Amino acid sequence: MRVFRHFVSGVVATALLLPVALSAQELRVGLALEPTSIDPHYHNLTPNNALAREIFDRLVMPDENQQLKPGLAVSWRPVKKTIWEFKLRKGVKFHDGTPFTADDVIFTFERAPNVAQSPSSFGTYLKGKKIEKVDDYTVRIITEKPYPLMPNDMSTFSIISKKHGQGATTADYNSGKAAIGTGAYKFVEWVPGDRLILERNDNYWGKKPQWSKVVIKPIKSGPARVAALLAGDVEFIDNVPTTDITQLEMNPKLNLSQGVSNRVIYLHMDQFRDDSPYVKAKDGGPVKNALKDVRVRRAISKAINREAIVERVMEGVAIPAGQLLPAGFFGVSANLKPEKHDPQSAKQLLADAGLPDGFQLTIHGPNDRYINDAKIAEAIAQMLTRIGIKTAVETMPKSVYFKRASRGGPNKSPEFSFILVGWGAGSGEASSPLKSLLHTYDKSRGFGASNRGRYSNPEVDQLVEQALATVDDAKRQKLLAKATEVAVNDLGIIPLHYQVNTWASRKGLKYLARTDEQTLYTGIVSE
Amino acid sequence: MTTSVQQISVPAGAPTEAAAVKVQTPFRRFLSDFFESGTAIAAFTVLLVIIFIAVVAPLISPTNPYDLAIVTVLDNRLPPGTRNLDGMTFWLGTDGAGRDLLSAIFYGLRTSLWVGVMSGLIALCIGGTIGLIAAYFGGRTDTLIMRIVDLQLSFPAILIALVLLAVLGKGVDKIIIALVAVQWAYYARTVRASALVERNKEYIEAAICLALGHRRIVFRHLLPNCLAPLIVVGTLQTAHAISLEATLSFLGVGLPITEPSLGLLIANGFEYMLSGRYWISFFPGVALLVTIVSINLVGDQLRDVLNPRLQR
Repeated sequence: MRVFRHFVSGVVATALLLPVALSAQELRVGLALEPTSIDPHYHNLTPNNALAREIFDRLVMPDENQQLKPGLAVSWRPVKKTIWEFKLRKGVKFHDGTPFTADDVIFTFERAPNVAQSPSSFGTYLKGKKIEKVDDYTVRIITEKPYPLMPNDMSTFSIISKKHGQGATTADYNSGKAAIGTGAYKFVEWVPGDRLILERNDNYWGKKPQWSKVVIKPIKSGPARVAALLAGDVEFIDNVPTTDITQLEMNPKLNLSQGVSNRVIYLHMDQFRDDSPYVKAKDGGPVKNALKDVRVRRAISKAINREAIVERVMEGVAIPAGQLLPAGFFGVSANLKPEKHDPQSAKQLLADAGLPDGFQLTIHGPNDRYINDAKIAEAIAQMLTRIGIKTAVETMPKSVYFKRASRGGPNKSPEFSFILVGWGAGSGEASSPLKSLLHTYDKSRGFGASNRGRYSNPEVDQLVEQALATVDDAKRQKLLAKATEVAVNDLGIIPLHYQVNTWASRKGLKYLARTDEQTLYTGIVSE
Repeated sequence: MTTSVQQISVPAGAPTEAAAVKVQTPFRRFLSDFFESGTAIAAFTVLLVIIFIAVVAPLISPTNPYDLAIVTVLDNRLPPGTRNLDGMTFWLGTDGAGRDLLSAIFYGLRTSLWVGVMSGLIALCIGGTIGLIAAYFGGRTDTLIMRIVDLQLSFPAILIALVLLAVLGKGVDKIIIALVAVQWAYYARTVRASALVERNKEYIEAAICLALGHRRIVFRHLLPNCLAPLIVVGTLQTAHAISLEATLSFLGVGLPITEPSLGLLIANGFEYMLSGRYWISFFPGVALLVTIVSINLVGDQLRDVLNPRLQR
């Protein structure tokens, strides 16, 4: 205890010694999740992508509803079915004054999918695409098959400078040496776990950012983040804990902004092993993997009371899910509704599947990634235990969890049997979750990259691939909706709810809630 | 007074005929000294009640908070005294997962005390033996052991425990292992200090002259005369172990979330502090506080009574 006390007083003393420079031009932000790197191509992760977007730019910049807007490319069009042409913006300069040209785009194409040690690579968006320079301000991207999602894919990664990026490692970006972009903010300093400092780029081509300096502090603990905002240590926080939202809404000194995200929270089930490590018989002995039986999966889905999770665990700040994306996104099905809570039929389904007494299961989940993730896992364990599936809960930090969930088993196979995960559709439409979560795992073609249950259904594969090659929007929308229906009705995954995000700031500032969950400093403006 | 002091200092291992007759007297003396203080009586009573609750928790708890088929999120975050639809009253309210806090505290006390006592006992056995060996053999053995102890004590306990648990994983047994690893050094140091004094006394020399085995001398002659400080350190370290376990659980390592100890209950409730749902961490916090304070008070009184220099 004494040690702990010293630790606390040390932290307090350090906090008091920090210079409190206050100017109207400076913005201090408390972030729940710190980026894992400044290298924009190291890790395809929301906090990294949000930061990268501020320092670097993208060819296509999605707005707060993930509608595509011109970025470093001013226009784009398919010149042939398999060739897209992007016209680049003229007169854009990197932070060091070098002009931006097609060479930088071509260099980015080479580097982005090939960063060493990348935990989640941008290869998904770049594999199977060839780039050609037409002139200094025009590039062409060539695919084998027609590819309607090209502009969406081009909105997912940041363009880096060829001059600074050549031979640069992730460490060179983290130190700032190579972190030279064309973006609205310049990189100043990053001390992991302590602070990240950005400075305004006065020569920015787009709308001038309001803040001359942005100081970002990672504050992992929810209550501590809220306390920092209430105390005025920071002026803006993301990821407001659901427990505090009601209280903060009533506070006249604060502004809240809230919006549904493109992220579905779902359960993935082992559907590739006959002997799954965390599926056991009632007495703890070995048993055939029950999760391969669609009746068992349906029983699980029916046992889950989504309304209760949303109301009691999420305190009303979430939307029960029946598919992969909330209504309004491109490619969602009009026919799918959230599964009704029906424990009686769930028990019946278990009995039909030859498991009237149920079985034992362990649910694995992260405890620091999604809103209330550990609590959701616990609530699901309660609901499954009630229909006879005795469920244990194991939660762990995301750094450990995702490694084990993706490749912790033998031969780098997924380790767990039953997992709680979330997926945000980076492209803002339904092909993203279909391609990554429900298409048969195929590393060489970039399909099923996050299909940790290894669900495989030829009909889904065929529909997804057909959709990805269909240029006509209306037809593609139908194919995506159809693929979603087939996969969800077959319980390839079990959708739980769509995440709703909340940001809070001091009175006088406002933030437009984004479906991609990103916190953008350019988006924080005075009222 | 003077006679009793002499009797206490009669080495238990010494072959005195009188010792057999008078051995009860120091113990009675000890009891009356111990219960001289009102605080000690109160603390001791509270501690007995807590131990009783912990032992019979499954019998007196309104529900089993670890049974996921009973606990439901539909009952979560209810304030103290609420009745749910099944007619069950939650006297101390429920936590974020819908557990009855009263039951959860009873079960949590059980876990906390079990972890504290078991890690205390195991660390006492290991640390005590090592300390006795260091004092008895002296020389290089002593130097080597004591430098290891110094090294161990120079690291913050919480840091070692965190690292160990990160490697070992979750579970009560693993927490006990981690706590033993952190605490044995305290026992070793304490026992060595008093054993060094005893080592040079005549009865040990006599035992050596009789060519008794090392093991017999260490455990039958040396150990009984070093027990007093060991008991005191043991009591205080048990309280320390309980608070360390709570800290570890608070930091999210240690126990699975479906079987919370007091520390984990407090950690879970911490999220709700700003929203006014004080009871989720307040009541487990009070339970933890009362437990640790009462053990510490008992330990303090033991130290006063068993320390010959403080004899009044």
